[in-house]
Amino acid sequence: MHLVGVDVGGTFTDLVHFGAADGTTHVHKAPTTPDNPARGVLEGILELCRRFDIDPGVIDHVYHGTTTATNAILEHDGAECGMITNEGYRDILHIGRHQRPQHFSIQQEIPWQDRPLIRRRHRLTVPHRIAPPRGEVLVPLDEDAVRRAARQLRAAGVEAVAVCFLFSYLDPAHEARARAIVEEEFPGAFVTCSAEVSPQFREFERFTTTAMNAFVGPKMRRYLTDLAEGLGRAGLKADLHIMASNGGVATAQMVAARPVMTLLSGPAAGVLGGRWAGALSGRDNLITFDVGGTSADIGIVRAGSFAEASPRDTWIAGFPLMVPMIDIHTIGAGGGSIAWVDAGGAFRVGPRSAGARPGPAAYGHGGTEPTVTDANVVLGRLDPGNFLGGEMRLDPAAAEAAIDRLAGRLGLDRLTAAEGVLTIVNANMANAIRSRTVQRGLDPRDFTLVAFGGAGPMQAAEVAAMLSIPEVIVPPHPGITSATGLLTTDLKYDAIRTAFQVSGQIEHRHITRALEEMEAGLAAQFAADGIGPDRVRFQRAADLRYVGQGYELRVPVPAGAFDAAAEAALFARFEQLHREEYGRAFPGAPKEIVNLRVTGFGETVKIRPAPRPTGGSLDAARIRVAPVVFRTGDGLAAHQTAFYRRDLLPADTPIPGPAVIVQQDSTTILRPGDSFHVDQAGNILIRIAT
Amino acid sequence: MNQIDPVTASVIQGALQNIAIEMGYKLMRMSYSSIIRESEDFGTALTDAEGNQLAESLQSTPLQSGPIPGYVKNVIEVFRRRGTPFRPGDVIMHNDPYGGASHGPDIALIVPVFHDGALVGFAGTTAHHLDVGALSPGSCGIVDAIDVYAEGLQFKAIKVVDGGVRNEAVWQILRDNVRAPDLVVGDMEAQVAACEIGAERFRELIGRYGIATVEAASRALMDHSERMMRQAIAAVPDGTYRAETFIDGFLDDPDPARRELPIVVSITVSGDEMTVDLTGTAPQVPDRPINMPLVGTVDIAIWLTIRSVLLDSDIHGYIPQNSGLTRPIRIVAPRGCLANPIFPAPVIARFTPGNQLADTVMKALAQAVPEKVSAGIGNLKVIAFSGLRGETHWVHMEIFEGAYGGRFRRDGMDAVDTLYANTRNNPIEDIESHLPMRVTRYELRENAAAPGRSRGGIGAVRAFQFLEPGGFSVEGEGHRFRPWGFSGGADGVPAELHLIHADGRDEALPSKVPYHPARAGDTFLAIGPCGGGYGDPLERDPARVLDDVRDGLISAGKALADYGVVIRDGQLDAAATAAERRARAGQGAPV
Repeated sequence: MHLVGVDVGGTFTDLVHFGAADGTTHVHKAPTTPDNPARGVLEGILELCRRFDIDPGVIDHVYHGTTTATNAILEHDGAECGMITNEGYRDILHIGRHQRPQHFSIQQEIPWQDRPLIRRRHRLTVPHRIAPPRGEVLVPLDEDAVRRAARQLRAAGVEAVAVCFLFSYLDPAHEARARAIVEEEFPGAFVTCSAEVSPQFREFERFTTTAMNAFVGPKMRRYLTDLAEGLGRAGLKADLHIMASNGGVATAQMVAARPVMTLLSGPAAGVLGGRWAGALSGRDNLITFDVGGTSADIGIVRAGSFAEASPRDTWIAGFPLMVPMIDIHTIGAGGGSIAWVDAGGAFRVGPRSAGARPGPAAYGHGGTEPTVTDANVVLGRLDPGNFLGGEMRLDPAAAEAAIDRLAGRLGLDRLTAAEGVLTIVNANMANAIRSRTVQRGLDPRDFTLVAFGGAGPMQAAEVAAMLSIPEVIVPPHPGITSATGLLTTDLKYDAIRTAFQVSGQIEHRHITRALEEMEAGLAAQFAADGIGPDRVRFQRAADLRYVGQGYELRVPVPAGAFDAAAEAALFARFEQLHREEYGRAFPGAPKEIVNLRVTGFGETVKIRPAPRPTGGSLDAARIRVAPVVFRTGDGLAAHQTAFYRRDLLPADTPIPGPAVIVQQDSTTILRPGDSFHVDQAGNILIRIAT
Repeated sequence: MNQIDPVTASVIQGALQNIAIEMGYKLMRMSYSSIIRESEDFGTALTDAEGNQLAESLQSTPLQSGPIPGYVKNVIEVFRRRGTPFRPGDVIMHNDPYGGASHGPDIALIVPVFHDGALVGFAGTTAHHLDVGALSPGSCGIVDAIDVYAEGLQFKAIKVVDGGVRNEAVWQILRDNVRAPDLVVGDMEAQVAACEIGAERFRELIGRYGIATVEAASRALMDHSERMMRQAIAAVPDGTYRAETFIDGFLDDPDPARRELPIVVSITVSGDEMTVDLTGTAPQVPDRPINMPLVGTVDIAIWLTIRSVLLDSDIHGYIPQNSGLTRPIRIVAPRGCLANPIFPAPVIARFTPGNQLADTVMKALAQAVPEKVSAGIGNLKVIAFSGLRGETHWVHMEIFEGAYGGRFRRDGMDAVDTLYANTRNNPIEDIESHLPMRVTRYELRENAAAPGRSRGGIGAVRAFQFLEPGGFSVEGEGHRFRPWGFSGGADGVPAELHLIHADGRDEALPSKVPYHPARAGDTFLAIGPCGGGYGDPLERDPARVLDDVRDGLISAGKALADYGVVIRDGQLDAAATAAERRARAGQGAPV
């Protein structure tokens, strides 16, 4: 059994190969080809095979993280789309929630008005209306009107059609009928229905999600077809699976119909990779901390599982997106974040970033603005001769000049200014973590911080200390943690139904039947994907709130018939979660089951830990000892600090900080008082001084 | 400690902001009534011990967070007068519109924060409550209240929890005197919980950095925002800029004093300071509640508009909202005018007049900074729908959107809340699942956009049908006067309101309607206003006019009449357009 994980980033495509027979892992980086990403993926796989002497024909599974759909949204470069919706409601997509994105701005843009996913000329209405609670038909679907609309859209040259009817989650048959008519009249069009994409209430958000599916649909379908053909031509017989935002993978066929499920998949693979790295060291309460040049992605893993974001909190390019996704908090803080003094004289860092080009001043590509990386250079924390494993030489003079200009404006000396840049960016990151832990009733002291991405291991120790997190893990290859994450997950499909059932009047049989139907639907999908019942498991949940509230909490639902006992347990668990999340519960107040959910997992083959090569010694690993500036209880001062090569460090040997550990894809920094060792899994484990 | 290093100041500012955001997050998610959790008509903030605002939540609507310092300052003042001390464990309820409250339904719950036995600040929340026991159901559209006593319960700095002990009598009185008490009290509990978490975090922050450092950072934070505002004002040419608009008043009232109601704003810029003088604004209406509290409504309308124009967040990025931002701005409002009423003149329906005042401030600024404003906005409406089921009321509040005027570089924003309001509508699928109402239409208004080089934003048409007998009350603006066009742009189009009876009869309604019963099958139809146009319509790019025609927003006939753009069979006739525009330019005045 051979697995390949391919994660396409902005600059590089990361690849990981795992051979189950001998348990070996190989990693490779290839340039991303933005004009045609399929080419970069294909060439990357073939280079990997050549480099490590693997026959492409033996690869069984390719797990792929792609930003094709995401980029189409971010660059607003998708298909010309049409929409068929109810008469009287042509502008739901345009009016939205009638709220402006910014409170204090006259000149702002409104994404759904200034860059519509479907222009008004292509939003056509047909007589049709159903109503709650059971989808009673008020106005039957006018099939001739649907037919006329389909012809009109075809004549107008659209490529994709979104069918969006109010209350379709109560009865998807009307949308399905309209879709069938559109497909008759307009063969070859990409047609998508709102109840298929996200069968839950809130029409603006559901219609927008559906419009987005249409907008990226044709492009994604072409991409996946190209890639599959290319793989076939290159002699691969592997199944292609695509990473989804929910932290699972889906088949290429599924993603071709519902590309919207991949829109936020980039950071999801990172959380999976972080979880895997934590598990290798026996840790399952984790804060994943994925920091690149521009942004930091923060995920929470509790007892090995990650939380899903509230469907009301997920956005892309300013548009709401109602699909299941891992709860990941992203802030604009990374190694390239620029430090600046605002017009009022305040010291700020980010969210603007120097990016890859020109990058930090120290990169010597013409950047002059002071960045987080420059601050690390000025304090001596990055070794100019050993950055990125020596592949890039840093220019300390350029970093100093950039920091000096900043220091001058602030009236600070060079080192205080540089250390200030780090303190501010670390505080921003700590606040972001706080919002997902302390503010949700979780104590950071119960977690391990898993730091990866190019800049995560540089900032991790100080961020952990700010939050009293006792321990930091740095995985063996921090720069390819996401690609590794692709090889650690299952097929994962979600089903959801809006229920609106109130405590005291719960229809147990109705709920039991709904859950069973959803499971049967998912089981059929897995069967179609070639996954038998023995490799499928289900997780049930419900979204609950007190009657009258507008935000729901996700509560697990036990398997089996949903009876009075299950109901009591469900509501008790809800109150407990409400107390955890908000600090208070309202016992006795009526509760409402808003949505029922079933998540199906289809087991796939996964990567296993590589055996850790033994050997190495401190003396061999130590490159040099040099002064590095840290702030301790005694103030800001230079401390003699050892620099180590990571690949030569011995396992299980405790080493005191301060220390700087260099490797090809990142640099790990320990403060005075911290200590670390490399464990049997190859992780660096840092104990944070309090 | 007088001086603080910039690094610590930045870190503490981030921490304070984070606390206010957490308070807002929890309040919004725990609250019951849709006016808070969907419309987001709530606010959270931290203040120092004098009531100066240190940070506010980002989610809340500006008209809620902004007034919190005014509430707190008045509570401090009242306690001082009464000789009541603040104690740890207190929770104070306050909604006195003559004591800093924005208006009666926006009830504040405030928790004092102590450190080492000393009062160091306050955590405050405000929220619009569904019902405060006024004369008709719901807390909006009480447009026939004759004084503040008719507006519902008044809480003037009342300790509803005193040193940790709940004052059960007050809670019971409250419960007994509001409709929908479960929702109202539930929302208040959410407010208390949000305040307590804010107070706890504030104490932790002080514990971590020490009170002297936090106070120094707070001062630095306010000084910073003040500097930003002073720089922005200094960039405006010195001078006095005057503008006048009118509010509808009571259109069906025989008394002209309730119909002819000018709002006058004179802004004087002198160096880095600004005076906003409302002299000339109509006298207060002593027995109708469209008077605007000076502290809590008028000041917020002015501050918010000035910062949105001069420190537009789309251009200047995020600027911390705190009391420093308002220091360079002085407000003058003659006592006894609409914008500075005398107790007990009623004020509960001050929402849309206040937004008209904000629009007038923008109109004055337009003369000084024409590229930073929009043309006149279409104003809003707030409606309370209600009914009885058995002995229990249901009440639903909905804010009906307006539209922005055209802008220097962009068309006006369509169908949004305007200026000092930024709430959200309720999903149709939520309304119909929980209330005996059906939303039968929600679309843009066609053929009504105000022409301009940048056209005005377009209003929405929204219809609600009653499925059971009930009633509604309305407070709104914008039926009588057109939103102002700017720099050659056309004036906008007013709003309309109709009750389409079940038998088909169309009853036109004014912008203010006291409680009006409705029968099952009656439809409440609101036609939203369109904002003013910006710039000469003959300068509008013909391709954009064609876009609007193709999108069905205007007809080909209007394209020709308003813009001199000739469209034949859905295609632009460039030559005929050029000829048409030349001919009109020859005539001098644009349409």
